[in-house]
Amino acid sequence: MSLGFILAQCLGALSQAAVLFFIACGLTLIFGIMRIINFAHGAIFMLGAYVGFTIVAVTGSFLLSLLLAPIVVGGLGMAFERVFLRHLYGRRDGGAYLLLTFGLAVVLSEVIRVIWGAQPRASGIPDFLRGIVVIVEQPFPLYRLFLIAAGLAAALAVWQFLERTRAGLLIRAVSQNAEMVHALGTDVALVRTAVFGLGCAMAALGGVLAAPLVTAFLGMGTTVVIDAFVIVIIGGMGSFLGSLIGSVLVGFVQVLGAYYFQDLALAFMYFLMLIVLVIRPGGLLGRED
Amino acid sequence: MTARHTVTRRRMVKGLVGASALTAAPAFLRHASAAAPIKIGIPTVITGGYALLGSQVIRTCKLVKKMTDAKGGVLGQPVEFFYQDTQGDPATCVRKCQELVERDNCRILSGVIVSSEAAAMLPKLEEWNAIFISHGNGDGRLTAELLVPRFFRANTSAPMGARALALYLKDAPEKKFIAMASDAAWGRSSNAAFEEQIKKVGKDLVDKMYAPVANKDYSPYITRILQSGAQGCYVALQGDEARAFYSQATQYGLAQRVQFFTEIVAQADIKVLGKDAIGLMGSSRYPLTYDIPQNNAFREAFMSEYKNEIPDWSDGEMYQALMILFAAIEKAGSPEPTKIAAAMEDLDVTSVKGPVLMRKCDHQGENQGFVVKVARNEKYAEPVAEIVKIYPREMNTPDCRSSSFSK
Repeated sequence: MSLGFILAQCLGALSQAAVLFFIACGLTLIFGIMRIINFAHGAIFMLGAYVGFTIVAVTGSFLLSLLLAPIVVGGLGMAFERVFLRHLYGRRDGGAYLLLTFGLAVVLSEVIRVIWGAQPRASGIPDFLRGIVVIVEQPFPLYRLFLIAAGLAAALAVWQFLERTRAGLLIRAVSQNAEMVHALGTDVALVRTAVFGLGCAMAALGGVLAAPLVTAFLGMGTTVVIDAFVIVIIGGMGSFLGSLIGSVLVGFVQVLGAYYFQDLALAFMYFLMLIVLVIRPGGLLGRED
Repeated sequence: MTARHTVTRRRMVKGLVGASALTAAPAFLRHASAAAPIKIGIPTVITGGYALLGSQVIRTCKLVKKMTDAKGGVLGQPVEFFYQDTQGDPATCVRKCQELVERDNCRILSGVIVSSEAAAMLPKLEEWNAIFISHGNGDGRLTAELLVPRFFRANTSAPMGARALALYLKDAPEKKFIAMASDAAWGRSSNAAFEEQIKKVGKDLVDKMYAPVANKDYSPYITRILQSGAQGCYVALQGDEARAFYSQATQYGLAQRVQFFTEIVAQADIKVLGKDAIGLMGSSRYPLTYDIPQNNAFREAFMSEYKNEIPDWSDGEMYQALMILFAAIEKAGSPEPTKIAAAMEDLDVTSVKGPVLMRKCDHQGENQGFVVKVARNEKYAEPVAEIVKIYPREMNTPDCRSSSFSK
């Protein structure tokens, strides 16, 4: 086994982890602040891919789609939170959230089918990201290196935002004690809306970035969102750093599992989750409540 | 005194009206019966990952209804299609078929997308008093160990697709192959058939791989193909899986190192992949450019009905299945399921794919084998699959009730 081969496998795993991180990060942010398991997250990821495709088709710019698709989808997410979710915060049971977000997933899928049709859509890769890089005699796509860089940049940006800004401080405070923050005069409802929008924008960005790998198609969010749920459980519900670590672990397990243990490739991810839950029931960096 | 029975003019008119009414009644009833539609249930995928294939099935059924009704129907009866969404799930498929049979009285079923859905339906056909004619289910076992008397497969199966490719590869320069398939009934069946066939023609299969259904990241498989030293790669993936694989393989520059041979060349994939699809070789379930009157008529009708759309393999196979069904109904002289089933056996039809024999021994349609290569064609706005080689139907169809070829 050559060094180049090992490097190529590791980079492949990291590029997969990068795509997973975008969706898992949004999911965990929303759960951390709102205690909502967003079942529509996969559909939002898919919507991001379709909106990105349209922006590329209209403007011809992939980079612009990376900027605009998250804004559009994040805005739609904020509107959904204000119009629908906000009315349910007083309820103690979580069933209403599950049904509402599940309903949103179904509606979004059908809306996408009506607007864009059943035919899959390919946004393609811009010329400057096409081609391969030879790493110790192993070819590796330039676009996947871009994905790794984008994932790292997004992780750093969100981390800086959460740790170094006043808005980030408020988000962390709301996640720990929303009533206290409200009593101190902060508009907690606004924080929740902003976080839901941010989570949707992250998922949309993941959708735009994933489209050149898998094309935009109906159902593209279904399996990805299951992976994202596993990541969030492994990392700890509501933990940003946990979602990052979980994404990397799942990325490696998926890639190495598919290479060395084909028949068990799917099962490995769930084995990993089970092991983590047995050792740390709250996930690697989550709280055990 | 004897009574005199006089026939007045009024009585005569009344009698004539009554007599003609009695005479006309059966004809009237016959006419009403003739106007009753032939009901065909289409349990297909409308939502979910295979929705594209389902949408192709539905658009072809709509076109066929239009074309058939314009010709006066089948046996003078119009055809009516009833659609249900199976979501690609076997349990849902059985439930929806039950609804089609019991609620809509559809005793003829077709348009099922996934082989595992088809396998789940087969044991219920007798109970439903229904027949099922497959347009695209590829799993070889459906006409072998899983066969039931009311099931017919009009389409090219997975072993048949692999067979055509293996016959072609016998004389190809590539010596070492690797096989890549979806970990589903169809993919397993395809890989097994390809392995058997490619070894039979004296070539080397160095490795075979199965990716989980709905897999998204193919980088580990692509790395494995690169590592294998294979010159050719057999690919039994379709729909979203195929598009993801070819997109990522292109990004790795794999096509410059390995020649792909795909089990199904799909126009939907070509449309999305664009120029990256050019050069892709494979077996074709429906050869778009096949120049025979039946196919030319279908292609022109399709492209006239659906502007800017090119019929895909699922359209062509669905059309063929319906043409075979209608031929069987006409031969039987009745749309009654058991009569259609009897008429279907050894029915020989020339369809869009050329001559097809619905052989009696296992209800598998003997289809010709088509090997194609994707290229630009000035008649079409996007690249299309051009025929490279055609293999006779006898050579391309497995042994009776088997997925293997003894010849």
